[in-house]
Amino acid sequence: MIDFTLIFRILVFPGFTFIVLLTLFCDWVERKIEARIQNRVGPMVAGPAGILQPLADFIKLLTKEDIEPRDAKKTIFKFAPLLAFTIMIFALFFLPVDGTNIFSTGGFSGDLIVILAFSTIANFLLFLAGWASCNPYGTIGSARVLTQFLGYDIPLFLIALTPAFIAGSLSIAAISAYQASHLLPFIVLAPWAFVLFLIAIQAELEKDPFDVPHSESELVGGLETEFTGAKLAFLHLTRDVQIVFGSALVVELFLGGPNGPVFFGIPWFWYTLWFVLKLLAVVLISEYITTVFARFRIDQVLSGNWRILLPAALLSLMLTVALVTWVYPLVV
Amino acid sequence: MSNNKIDILSVVASKLGNRVQIQPGYLSTGTIIAQNGLHRNVLKTMIDADEKTGITAITGLDFGENLGVYYHVHTSNAFVTIKAEVPKDNPKIQTIIDLHPGAVFHELEVADLLGVVFEGHPTSGHFVLSENWPDGVYPLRKNVKANEVKLVPTPKSEEITLPENERLVKIIIGPQHPALLEPEKFAVTVDGEIVTKVEPRIGYVHRGIEKATESRTYLQDVYLVERICGICNSIHAAGFVECVEKIAKIEVPPRAKYLRVIALELNRLHSHLLTLGHAGLEIGYETLFQYFWRDREPIMDLIELTSGNRVYSSLMTIGGVRRDIKDTDIPKIKTTLKDLRGKLPFYRQVYENEPSLKLRMKNVGVLKRADALKLSVVGPVARGSGVDVDVRKDEPYEAYAEIPFKEIVYTTGDTWARMNVRMDEVEESINIIEYAIDNLPSGQFRIITPRSVPAGEAVNRVEAPRGELFYYVRSNGTDMPDRVKVRTPTFANIPAFLKTAIGESIADVPANFVSLDPCFSCTDR
Amino acid sequence: MTDTKTWARVKSPWVLHFNSGACNGCDIEIVALLTPKYDVERFGVKLEPSPRHADVLLVTGCVTQQCAERLKRVYDQMPQPKFVVAIGACACSGGVFEGNYNVLGGVDKVIPVTAFIPGCPPRPEAILDGVVKLLNALNPPKPKKQAKQPELPKQEDKPEGVVVQTAQNVVEEEKQIVKQ
Repeated sequence: MIDFTLIFRILVFPGFTFIVLLTLFCDWVERKIEARIQNRVGPMVAGPAGILQPLADFIKLLTKEDIEPRDAKKTIFKFAPLLAFTIMIFALFFLPVDGTNIFSTGGFSGDLIVILAFSTIANFLLFLAGWASCNPYGTIGSARVLTQFLGYDIPLFLIALTPAFIAGSLSIAAISAYQASHLLPFIVLAPWAFVLFLIAIQAELEKDPFDVPHSESELVGGLETEFTGAKLAFLHLTRDVQIVFGSALVVELFLGGPNGPVFFGIPWFWYTLWFVLKLLAVVLISEYITTVFARFRIDQVLSGNWRILLPAALLSLMLTVALVTWVYPLVV
Repeated sequence: MSNNKIDILSVVASKLGNRVQIQPGYLSTGTIIAQNGLHRNVLKTMIDADEKTGITAITGLDFGENLGVYYHVHTSNAFVTIKAEVPKDNPKIQTIIDLHPGAVFHELEVADLLGVVFEGHPTSGHFVLSENWPDGVYPLRKNVKANEVKLVPTPKSEEITLPENERLVKIIIGPQHPALLEPEKFAVTVDGEIVTKVEPRIGYVHRGIEKATESRTYLQDVYLVERICGICNSIHAAGFVECVEKIAKIEVPPRAKYLRVIALELNRLHSHLLTLGHAGLEIGYETLFQYFWRDREPIMDLIELTSGNRVYSSLMTIGGVRRDIKDTDIPKIKTTLKDLRGKLPFYRQVYENEPSLKLRMKNVGVLKRADALKLSVVGPVARGSGVDVDVRKDEPYEAYAEIPFKEIVYTTGDTWARMNVRMDEVEESINIIEYAIDNLPSGQFRIITPRSVPAGEAVNRVEAPRGELFYYVRSNGTDMPDRVKVRTPTFANIPAFLKTAIGESIADVPANFVSLDPCFSCTDR
Repeated sequence: MTDTKTWARVKSPWVLHFNSGACNGCDIEIVALLTPKYDVERFGVKLEPSPRHADVLLVTGCVTQQCAERLKRVYDQMPQPKFVVAIGACACSGGVFEGNYNVLGGVDKVIPVTAFIPGCPPRPEAILDGVVKLLNALNPPKPKKQAKQPELPKQEDKPEGVVVQTAQNVVEEEKQIVKQ
């Protein structure tokens, strides 16, 4: 028996097509915000108010000539971008967007860890892609990507455990459901964890002030230097999907996921709407931080991780444990 | 400033008076003619007497049978030229790089372009010319015509010498690189993340301007010399024009001097705002770059208002300026400058309080005062390290002697200090322009001068936004110059960059580099 | 499908800037295009760091000997379809440096050029106008029935040895490459 609902959910809504369209939309929002803060206007010509600009970029890259350097490791060079993109999309499938996740199940206990692991694997594939291109800038760029995301994964995992601890479960659906049933998003219950999580996500996504791997003035194109055509299109799209993934994680863990008041009609429309609105709010904050700061040096990024963020994450976890055990049962 | 003014010529006269010929008052403070290696003794005497002695430039000339090698030396209060000559069939002269390491680049250039052999300073390959340039053909010699040079058909491919130790990685920065607006090549050897050696290769923007000036008239040369650099174009024109006026003994009317000051300070304003914004781009601070360049646009409008063109104002000419300022334009100039002055506190606050900027700029690329003196750096790089050199104060030209302004000096010597020097100089430039407009003398703004310039030679120093700019012009009585020598400030400052980059992280190289404010089109000419 | 391809290419031209021995005047005006007063990102133009990512090569400078080989190499590294814009009097013909000993004089001596933008330096508005004209030439508006196309000079009218290379011819060649 072919489950047409499942196929529809995977391919169209809230699956592949919806995620890709949301990614392109978030890319446009980011570019507009950055332009406005810099006193400019941003993309205006492609479609009304430039909204089709990311789509034009993507299609143009697909139609360019595909050049493969002689010395590059062929298989990894060809498939790593597409594989990284696929894994990120698959990780997004586990997040409840219209009330439940793609597979219409309540998730399973531990799927929070699974999707964080998927994100790590995708980052690792990006590193391999840059490494396989056999270009000195690609090598240095991908080495920096590796050091940065491996370092920041640890505090990221620790801080992500905070909402899990309060909700008492490692399942994402359970975490967002706890926030809905108690009418208190975790941003209120654990604001310190929210701030630290935002910083850790900013570093994971390699955005300013942590965007050392993409610094043009030192590394030319970074790990993307040798890629052209379709492979470059998917590398860019992977990066944008990662941004949506990071923001969606913040929404699910701290802002209550897709839950919100349902006014009339079909609930899944309202859940999707609240999800998208909260996502845009997170994207706005993240892009604001990006535009307002300069870029840290790689050694400052790493020492900031090991000396500041990791101890802060541990302290935050201990504080949460203490609060959950003794304070919250009385208050919440 | 040293309180005891040393009379350097009498010091040299007392030690070597019987072996060299001294002409006091000729070519600025004086000229010393020293043959047979005595230039080394003269230089050593000067260095021992005055710690601020340094080489400004080494000019090579072609006299037909002999080649002239002129050393232009600056001390704390004097500017002396040491003249030496060598026969063309045996052009050997002793090097001075052991006495003054800042002379390395100057000697390499004279060796490359004129064929002088500096004993004790081995050279390999070309310094400024391209690799496929034929050996033995020296472009600045009179017998070489530009369109008759036959290039070596297959250029020798540049071998990249790999470092001996396998841990070290050699990274080539340039010629096409997003950090550099201009093509230059730097081979940086790194150990992990720390830089151990920097080898520059300049000459990618060498357009043979010095040779081209010899086949154009003086008036045509003003336009040619202006295009050595698009950013500091007015000051190049001013340096050349003043030098010619010194040879021809032309006295420019006072109104023209004030108008020249206004044009030069507008040039300095736009150049400093450009550098301040570009520095933001290098450290990943795009927002600061956009804001600075947004505030730079009204200055470009002012340059267009006073001269008609956004970048190349072409206001300088021999005998004055080509256009006058209309009285109806003056209110607009004053309003724009007032707006710019009102924006400066915001940028000062960013530099004082912004944590990510301070992390990238403080204690990065530190140049100590002793090194700055030894390498004779100029401009904001020197003034950021506590060395107070500013040609506008030391040897005032145009109307600068009559206009009050402060000389900005910071002592920490890091990138942050150098950028702050430029920011404060922006405010000083606004003060200068406002004073000049309020006190503009009436009268002519130009006098007509004869086409030919009488035979003679002169040196001239002016303060470009990047530092001291030096011109030497030699005339043979016709309407075309015999030799024009330009020493640009970045040429003097690059050895300092090589020194400050060593021992620091490679991630600091772009920020360090841009605080030097390099202009390679100036360097290569 | 061809229309979508052309639409995407016209709306998203990524540029690479290469200085082949210029005085910096034109380069500063190109960088000024990114700033708030001119804001070239409206047209989808992004300044890219790597030749592999770019569609349009903006060349300034009179092409010195050392830069000629690098310019050719950078041009070869760019993927098809690619266009070259020569900005400034020096890039068009050598400018004031024509005839000097280290200067080749003009970008078209090394690589094929699609558009020439004269000026010393050309204003940012002029550079923008040139880039927009290049884009519009790729995607010409459908001719109205009443409008008469201007006649191109016939080859037989010109003396021997003179080839009329108009911008239209160059654009036709590039369109052939685009269709592949």
